[in-house]
Amino acid sequence: MSLNTKAIAKNAYFISKHRGRVTARVRVPGGHLEARHLEIIKEIAERCGNGTVHLTARQAFAIPGIPAEKIPEVRKLLAPYIREAEVGMGVNLPDPEGGFPVPLPPNVLACIGSRDCVFGNIDTAELAQKIERTFYPGSTLLKIGVAGCANDCAKVHMQDVGIIGMVEPLYDPARCIGCEACVKNCRRAASGALRAENYKVARDDLRCLGCGECVLKCPTGAWSRGAKYYRLVIGGRTGRKHPRAARTFLEWAGEEAVIQVIANILAYIEKHRDKTLPKEHLGYIIDRTGYGVFKQEVLAGVNLGPRAKVAKYINFGGYAYDKGVQLT
Amino acid sequence: MNANPYLPVKVKVLEVGKQTENVATLKIESQGLNPAPGQFVEVSIPKVGECPVSISDFGSDFLELTVRKVGRVTGALNALRAGDSLFVRGPYGNGFPLENFDRRHVVMVLGGIGLAPVKGIINRYYLNGGVNRLDLLVGFRTPQEIIFRAELARWREKFNVVVAVEQDDPGWPGRVGLVSDLVKEISVEREAAAVVVGPPLMIKAAAEELSGRGVAKENIWVSLERRMSCGIGKCGHCRINDRYVCLDGPVFNYRQAEGLVD
Amino acid sequence: MGYLFSADAFNSLLAELKTRYKIFAPKIYRGKGRTAGTDLVAYGEAGELAEIAFDRKTAFSPKEIIFPVNQTMFYFTKEEFQENLPPKEDKDMIIFLRACDINGIERMDAILLQNGPYRDVYYEKLRGKARFFLIACDQSWESCFCVSTGSNRTENYSVYVREENGQVFCLVKDRDFEEIFSKYGRPADVEPRFIEENKIRVRLPEEIDQRVFGHKLWEEYAARCSACGRCTVCCPTCTCFTIQDIFYRDNPDCGERRRVWASCLIDGFTDMAAGVSFRAGYGERLRFRAMHKAADFKKRFGLFMCVGCGRCDDACPEYISFSKCLNRLSEIMGEVGQR
Ligand SMILES: Cc1cc2nc3c(=O)[nH]c(=O)nc-3n(C[C@H](O)[C@H](O)[C@H](O)COP(=O)(O)OP(=O)(O)OC[C@H]3O[C@@H](n4cnc5c(N)ncnc54)[C@H](O)[C@@H]3O)c2cc1C
Ligand code: SF4
Ligand code: SF4
Ligand code: SF4
Ligand code: SF4
Ligand code: SF4
Ligand code: FES
Repeated sequence: MSLNTKAIAKNAYFISKHRGRVTARVRVPGGHLEARHLEIIKEIAERCGNGTVHLTARQAFAIPGIPAEKIPEVRKLLAPYIREAEVGMGVNLPDPEGGFPVPLPPNVLACIGSRDCVFGNIDTAELAQKIERTFYPGSTLLKIGVAGCANDCAKVHMQDVGIIGMVEPLYDPARCIGCEACVKNCRRAASGALRAENYKVARDDLRCLGCGECVLKCPTGAWSRGAKYYRLVIGGRTGRKHPRAARTFLEWAGEEAVIQVIANILAYIEKHRDKTLPKEHLGYIIDRTGYGVFKQEVLAGVNLGPRAKVAKYINFGGYAYDKGVQLT
Repeated sequence: MNANPYLPVKVKVLEVGKQTENVATLKIESQGLNPAPGQFVEVSIPKVGECPVSISDFGSDFLELTVRKVGRVTGALNALRAGDSLFVRGPYGNGFPLENFDRRHVVMVLGGIGLAPVKGIINRYYLNGGVNRLDLLVGFRTPQEIIFRAELARWREKFNVVVAVEQDDPGWPGRVGLVSDLVKEISVEREAAAVVVGPPLMIKAAAEELSGRGVAKENIWVSLERRMSCGIGKCGHCRINDRYVCLDGPVFNYRQAEGLVD
Repeated sequence: MGYLFSADAFNSLLAELKTRYKIFAPKIYRGKGRTAGTDLVAYGEAGELAEIAFDRKTAFSPKEIIFPVNQTMFYFTKEEFQENLPPKEDKDMIIFLRACDINGIERMDAILLQNGPYRDVYYEKLRGKARFFLIACDQSWESCFCVSTGSNRTENYSVYVREENGQVFCLVKDRDFEEIFSKYGRPADVEPRFIEENKIRVRLPEEIDQRVFGHKLWEEYAARCSACGRCTVCCPTCTCFTIQDIFYRDNPDCGERRRVWASCLIDGFTDMAAGVSFRAGYGERLRFRAMHKAADFKKRFGLFMCVGCGRCDDACPEYISFSKCLNRLSEIMGEVGQR
């Protein structure tokens, strides 16, 4: 059997362990899709695959068990989805019949966000789609995740770039009844940024996460929603070498700043990555260039907005698989 | 009535008597406040706060307050000295229905600071008579917390006074135990009346004991303490069922009080 | 007299009224809802027809206009009290509100003006400035049960206002407003209309007594309620408050005494010295509130306290429905009555 595996992989198919079979990957930017598109996934799985569908950790569909010769048929079946879900929301894909053009960058994952979640401060899928529109197609490896609030249900701390929705809580002492629900809850469930003072509440701006919990808990509306902001965490990763959680790079940044910073990060990666490797995660590159270079290049020309704060330095901790473990 | 009922009057402290480490008796100008026994006033120290305090005694030109330090206002009141001023409004509440005690056997069961609202009444009976017989059963947590020691000693001349403490103490010669249990040891005359003042659990225990000993519930008068803010039936803190302790009390007949469920 | 206004004419009317009155009405605050991307409907000052949300129910009742969440009663300078009564020369107020809320204010009057020998002057002064413009309800929302509580109607208003497709029908009852309304409006026949049916019907318990206190209903509520107090904060008939003194941080010689809303659902409401407090359990607190709304207030003032606005149902994060609670109380009383 003759297969050009490189070409197939570039079209978003995995080469399976079962000889002659491939697994089709279907992107779902932001992990949110129209229910009717499930019909397409179903049809591909039943007609071309082995009748099952796997949900990937990046919120894409993987349709396994497809004989390689059926790829053209899969492309045809997939075309309406690509047209509606990708081209339809503004992604520049001139040839929907041709399938997904390149496997990179990976799907932008997101929690359900403010479309449905009480805690969500931002419409995560919308931002994921905006990122998809702006940066896809492209060939640079950058794993991006979007979380609606500091709960980080999307686990964006394990991504190269994690975006976390923030809200500025606005306090109106004239509506505050001093019940301290916000104070107790911030201490218990958030950051302990609030304290009771003179029967009213004081907020420590440095500690506040912008999670919006106080707004949710306040019975009188003394806390209300101010502007939306974003926290950007960088350098998270899993993998065999040196897994670690991302650290905060920016907080209280505006939405445009987030997009501009991602654009700069893509350029930074292309400039500094180790070209002898097929791909390299952002965190390793920052380790090599140092945070100072990263910060300088990535913030160049970016309007962060009036409230934004930038990390002075980052001390990535990290974790290595322990070679000393005794398996006796 | 158009005046501002929340506006207190300024009064001078005439005399301060230290009862215990944490309790002081303040004799203050009466400024025309004309109370009845068992009523209370709202006392304030500006910028600190306001709180209800029973009138522990009064004369034509003075009021006496006996205050236990438990927090902000009561702490500030305990720090006052003669010549200082404070603010009061009132008197509020209904007070004791003294006509029901005339020429009767009266049993008073009092816990701690609960002695304060009836101290003036007992003094009057001591000086002028009026009741046939008076049993005073008074409880404190520890001997150190006993207040009105001089008065208690004096009252012994004419009345049966039993003082009990809850926590034993090496130097304490008297009774140890719950004051409500002392009720078991006294004889109760026909048509006897009773007064019970103290913390909620003590009130219930003592009133039930008295009722068991044959004092009719209609003849037992309890003074309830509840959280209060306004003292005048507006703020809602002191409400129990359809009653406002600040307006309809603090003194309730036990027949009615036992039906009040918080 | 009845009047009909075009939108422009009504705006001219409002503009002139605004020179003499502060005008409060339900308004939509975009993006100000508790959760992201939602709106808040609440009372605020309004000057134009388009600003008034005739077709939305406010999350908070209009009580805050005449009974502010925080109200300074006195200012302290050194040792002196300075009364802070709302000044006479402040403008009077027009409040656009619904029948249930006008009935709610009658409940507030009962406690703040009538209970006991004293009148609450702070409330009385603001209350005295208020003129009611009754908003006609053309629909009853999901949680309303004003018909059951008899608070769907009222006669206590200056002007009745019904908005229909950009036109406004008014019936002026208060002579003070006749002249200015006749200046901008065309005479028209206007009959006040009230809601006659809600989606929810509540069987008001005739009589509730302490036999319901031991029922397992309260245990169920204890497990569900989080004691957040929203149901009392939004209620047009809850009036509990706490008086607090503070001194100013930057000038400790001066300070103020103010009163702040309180709630029997929130921790600390009954706290006393030595750790004594009542109703530690949330079920007991809900029982206390329910008894106030459905029995205790009525016993004292002869009025059923709850006016069936349904706001507490809308506000409860645990979906505890007060109308459902009332119906269950009726059932439970029926059961214990038969025994
Ligand atoms: C009718 C009546 C008569 C009273 N008579 C006396 C008296 O004669 N002598 C006396 O020492 N005390 C008396 N009290 C109790 C006294 O009012 C409280 O101890 C006082 O309010 C505490 O205020 P604070 O500012 O010192 O305490 P805070 O600093 O406010 O609080 C300290 C503690 O006191 C509790 N507390 C706060 N406010 C009240 C309140 N209004 N009522 C009860 N507890 C409260 C708090 O929950 C806390 O546990 C009386 C109370 C009532 C209702
Ligand atoms: S936004 Fe979150 S961290 Fe900030 S004060 Fe509110 S609860 Fe605390
Ligand atoms: S939850 Fe709201 S009302 Fe309660 S203390 Fe906090 S700000 Fe004030
Ligand atoms: S108890 Fe609920 S339904 Fe009744 S008046 Fe209050 S908020 Fe409205
Ligand atoms: S006691 Fe509770 S239910 Fe009644 S008015 Fe006060 S806060 Fe509302
Ligand atoms: S709103 Fe609901 S959860 Fe909150 S106190 Fe009221 S009943 Fe309990
Ligand atoms: S103390 Fe305010 S109502 Fe009784």
